[in-house]
Amino acid sequence: MEDQAFRTDLAEIAAQRFRRGEIDRRSLLKLLGALGLVPLIGSDKAFADAKELVLVNWGGEPSKVLQKVMGDTFTAETGVKVTVDGSGPSAGKIRAMVESGAVVWDVCDSGPGSAIIMGNQGVATPIDYSIVDKSKVIDGFTWEYGVANYMYSYVLCCNTQMLKETPKTWADVWNVKDFPGKRTFRKSVRGMLETAAMAMGAKPQEVYDFLKDEKGIKAAIAKFHELREHIIVWSSGSASQDLFLQNEVAIGCIWSTRAQLLRDQMPAGGFSVTFNEGVLSPGAWVVPKNNPAGAELAMKFIAHTQDPKLQVEWLKLIGSGPANPAAAAMVPDELKAWDPSSPEHMATQTVYNDDWYAKNQVKAEELYIDALIN
Amino acid sequence: MAARAFADRHRYWLLILPALAAMLIFYVWPLIQIFAISFTEPTTGFGNYVELLSSRAIRTSFVITFRVAALTTVGCLLLGYVVAYAIYNTRARYVGLMLMLVLLPFWLSVLVRSFAWIVLLGRGGVVNDALIGLGLIDRPLALMHNEFGVLIAMVHVMLPYAVLPLMANMKGIDPSYVAAARGLGASELTAFRQVYLPQTLPGIFSAALLVFVISLGFYITPALLGGGRVLMISEYITYQIQEFLKWGLGTALSVALLVATAAVILAAARFVNLRKTLLERG
Repeated sequence: MEDQAFRTDLAEIAAQRFRRGEIDRRSLLKLLGALGLVPLIGSDKAFADAKELVLVNWGGEPSKVLQKVMGDTFTAETGVKVTVDGSGPSAGKIRAMVESGAVVWDVCDSGPGSAIIMGNQGVATPIDYSIVDKSKVIDGFTWEYGVANYMYSYVLCCNTQMLKETPKTWADVWNVKDFPGKRTFRKSVRGMLETAAMAMGAKPQEVYDFLKDEKGIKAAIAKFHELREHIIVWSSGSASQDLFLQNEVAIGCIWSTRAQLLRDQMPAGGFSVTFNEGVLSPGAWVVPKNNPAGAELAMKFIAHTQDPKLQVEWLKLIGSGPANPAAAAMVPDELKAWDPSSPEHMATQTVYNDDWYAKNQVKAEELYIDALIN
Repeated sequence: MAARAFADRHRYWLLILPALAAMLIFYVWPLIQIFAISFTEPTTGFGNYVELLSSRAIRTSFVITFRVAALTTVGCLLLGYVVAYAIYNTRARYVGLMLMLVLLPFWLSVLVRSFAWIVLLGRGGVVNDALIGLGLIDRPLALMHNEFGVLIAMVHVMLPYAVLPLMANMKGIDPSYVAAARGLGASELTAFRQVYLPQTLPGIFSAALLVFVISLGFYITPALLGGGRVLMISEYITYQIQEFLKWGLGTALSVALLVATAAVILAAARFVNLRKTLLERG
């Protein structure tokens, strides 16, 4: 769910890096070639054979990094060929695949929200925790039908050139008198109601307590209704970045990966980011039901990706934080400020609660849209 | 003779058979399935339609959708009529060029055209910069991230759909009628109003219908330029289908949009002869 868009976004970041010359043309072309090889549902040739594992993510640079960091190392260890398909495993596509009886994907880079929905609809395989190690995942980021693969945050960013004073908390963001200018929030409720709760005084650790019943949710929604005239929403990571680059907004709640890019693109000293009162979110591996390589091999691959060394490599190349708590100590100093799941950052953030989303998202989403358009 | 006419009729059916088959397989059948899903998911019954009617967000989104489509239609008709009229009354050598200018935007994707408007209408965009530079305003106008920006871009995107039917219509109008009216002493304005304009009504109606119906299903431009506050119903549908797997509600919304669109066409049919407007214009 939240993750679909986030992952597609990583692909776009990669394209930007290519334009800046950080990735060579050959690698990019290879990737684009790989995208052309998206298997067609129903074609026999597309069915992965038993010796092959098909990973699916959202294309671009992350596909290449996934292949290199997780895929090739798995092949070296087990001899199983790993292919990465970057065509985007949306919950809708997975469901269509499972229901048509032509599953070609083994392990999908999805999200806990999607994992819960797909589990409920019977189109995902439960994670086998006798193979996948729960202790190698930050507490709370394991679910029945999915397990965290990496982390990212929703953070408070400011264009400091447009402001006399920099807002430091969500309460400041709601204070339009002292901090004038447009704000940008996500077009979806994900990671957003949390900020309204904190603006009303909830501590990061108490956010979901605040939002536990209808009263709390309605209050957070009303808070957005109050701010609606000052809000421009972003629907993609690149849009959130453009809004800052074009001085359309002064303040925003955006993904940490995009904030990291903006820090380099905005004039020096003209942009601030804080993980204070951020919302830390996990992505998740999901295995579609009846995956061609079999559940066991898929689980073995997931266990392989839990290696903290590989996860630090991932942070280095893509900017998404490790899901294994053991990795934090291995993160090099210069990257620590950008590791969403470092112990320092975890202490000041609220942790995205998927059970809350499973229970409340659909309703909250409608109320959120209602608050913004009415 | 009779036998031959019969065979002729069969021959024509054979000609349209492939198109008809494609329609049945790729359009009518999926449409029936969409209809079925809306009544069977998550449970059998009218649940999705009750949810649809009881949601204020969905109601507002429908209102926004129809308002944006209607305003776009008005804008397109006003501009399109002038453009079509001008094209048919300029010297023949420029007609080709002007037609090309009308059609040119068709060759660019809607996405590209919408992004172009972002460059023009932004706070630091070309329009605001120019106005500030000229000293007409001292702070940027909010030209975008609201319904105003959406309408500007929508009218731009939809304009060819208005110009083309109007032109087809004007092409069939014999200039001697206006000339006769003028010869009988009517002023230019009267001749236009009483003789020319009534003859272009079929063109106006078909242009309006085309622009309105296509606009109803639009969402890329409003999503990019509306700042999140101009939510078209098709965007809402995409969301339900792709993100929440609520195919029941998504399909129910699609059916509702289809029914609403059909209702508009039927209502239009009460006032205009659709067959004549759409098939025998000019």
